[in-house]
Amino acid sequence: MIALETRALVKSFGAIAVTQSVSLAFEAGSRTALIGPNGAGKTTYFNLLAGNLRPDSGAVLLEGRDVTKLDATSRARIGVSRSFQRNNLFPELTVRENLALACALRAGKTTRFWRPMRGLKDVAGEAAEVAAQVGLTDVLDTPARAMSYGSQRQLEVALALALKPRVLLLDEPTSGMSPQETALMRGLIGRLPRALTIVIIEHDMDIVLDFADHIVVLDYGKVLDQGAPAAIRASQVVRERYLGEGGARL
Amino acid sequence: MASGNLVRGLAGVALLAGALTGQRFAGFFAQELIAEAAILGIFTLSLDFLATCGLVSLGHAGLLGVGAYLFAGLTVLSGLPPAFALAAAIAGGALAAFVVGLFAIRAQGAFFIMVTLALAEMFYAFVFRNRAFNGADGMGGIPRLDLSRIGVDLNDPQAFSLAAICVCAAVWLLLELVCASPFGRALDAIRQNPHRVAALGGRVYLYRLAAFTSSGALAALAGALKVQHTNFLSPDLVSWFVSGDVLIATVIGGLGTLVGGPLGAAILVFLKDALSSNVGHWYLFLGAVFAFVALAMPRGVVGFLLAFFARRSPPAGNTGDAP
Ligand SMILES: Nc1ncnc2c1ncn2[C@@H]1O[C@H](COP(=O)(O)OP(=O)(O)OP(=O)(O)O)[C@@H](O)[C@H]1O
Ligand SMILES: [Mg+2]
Repeated sequence: MIALETRALVKSFGAIAVTQSVSLAFEAGSRTALIGPNGAGKTTYFNLLAGNLRPDSGAVLLEGRDVTKLDATSRARIGVSRSFQRNNLFPELTVRENLALACALRAGKTTRFWRPMRGLKDVAGEAAEVAAQVGLTDVLDTPARAMSYGSQRQLEVALALALKPRVLLLDEPTSGMSPQETALMRGLIGRLPRALTIVIIEHDMDIVLDFADHIVVLDYGKVLDQGAPAAIRASQVVRERYLGEGGARL
Repeated sequence: MASGNLVRGLAGVALLAGALTGQRFAGFFAQELIAEAAILGIFTLSLDFLATCGLVSLGHAGLLGVGAYLFAGLTVLSGLPPAFALAAAIAGGALAAFVVGLFAIRAQGAFFIMVTLALAEMFYAFVFRNRAFNGADGMGGIPRLDLSRIGVDLNDPQAFSLAAICVCAAVWLLLELVCASPFGRALDAIRQNPHRVAALGGRVYLYRLAAFTSSGALAALAGALKVQHTNFLSPDLVSWFVSGDVLIATVIGGLGTLVGGPLGAAILVFLKDALSSNVGHWYLFLGAVFAFVALAMPRGVVGFLLAFFARRSPPAGNTGDAP
């Protein structure tokens, strides 16, 4: 079954065509890495998938249903969740509060204006579970803004996970991290449930080759190539166009 | 967070104790000031609750005016009982805010501020010329709520100031509860990062609309109490100065702290009175005092207290976690 699909998706900012007729399908439970040079349009494609941007033309389908006209909030509510390239947290809230809020939003409990938030035991339990999943149990009561950058990055992913999505979009979860923090994040995403459909934007080729079962190369808004990791590694056109200078890492 | 709640709670209890003690022993004139401060306190709470979700209104006097004009109109012009008029005023304030919010909240930030300011000014221009309400001259003879059934005569200044304190305290308590609820936490999250709330499936627009509607109800409550207090209604109630005063009182006390608003209201009312009766060019002095407070305590008096106690007792579990 195809979890998420785009058909001839087009997006331009003024004269710059950032997404040029991108048609891709993500199988349920698949793990796809989206790679490409800076400015290739990877984040823009995520914005189109998650509903943060409206395409100029083309369609986005979630499990066969056309969701092109739904905004980001609606798509989040039907199972598409994302993390952001730049940390996008609730800085004054603790890890526990950040996650409890996300869980309460997902469970539709934030319309309750009586009785304290603390009283939502199931939500508190879920928040603690997600924190454990990403290894933030030790800092549950630390405000997000007081944490190390690496922990903030973990929380960024945890907020997306807290929605219990069916499709998870991760935008460079390891960007700006130290090697140790990167290793931690690598372990974290490696342990995510197999049923989850995951698309990850990542520059670290070790992580990409280790994690993904499918790789899509984006270049100037177009799909340059796609296939299994081994095939992409061997691909002549990818080597020439994208991996030219960084190809040594492969 | 928890220690912050304690500090705010204690500040609230101290303020309430001070108000009740003052009210118990104050003479006639001080009773009037206490009632004025308590009503302004309710008004600040209305503004501060709105600020919980990141919205600041520069035309909040418009909503106060809706309550004031509805109460005066329904009692004096239509001869309806004050209790009914009070309920109608609150409902009217909520409805007005809901309708304004429907389009003003869509675009936020500066646009929201400008729309609220512009609409309040339009309301001012309207009542300034309105014949039924005596236009610029205003209208007297506005009755107070009749509580004789429970043995309270609100025409007695001491009884009225006590009632005003009680309403202000009740509103404060109510908002404290709402702010601690899941809904209140969502509003606070929207203030911090509306984009992430939206990405997490929260309908930011609807939360803000609900907050603005509630805020309108409370502002109208303050307006209906204000005209009962002075027994007099005039367009001055809706003027820019009233919107400015409530914002100043809230900021002096501490925006986003709830209890700060009523504290700021008390400071503003008593300072104004002390300066205006003893000092020439008193408005200049008032401005200087506020400029000083803003510089010394950018987060208001309560914000200052919160920072002070947070520094003295860092919350547990917040030490040395950064690798
Ligand atoms: N909102 C916007 N308005 C105008 N131009 C934009 C906007 N968002 C992105 N762009 C432009 O679109 C192009 C692609 O940006 P995008 O962020 O999608 O790239 P990316 O592949 O994610 O790059 P990176 O690896 O640096 O994150 C860039 O040239 C960028 O400047
Ligand atoms: Mg990007």
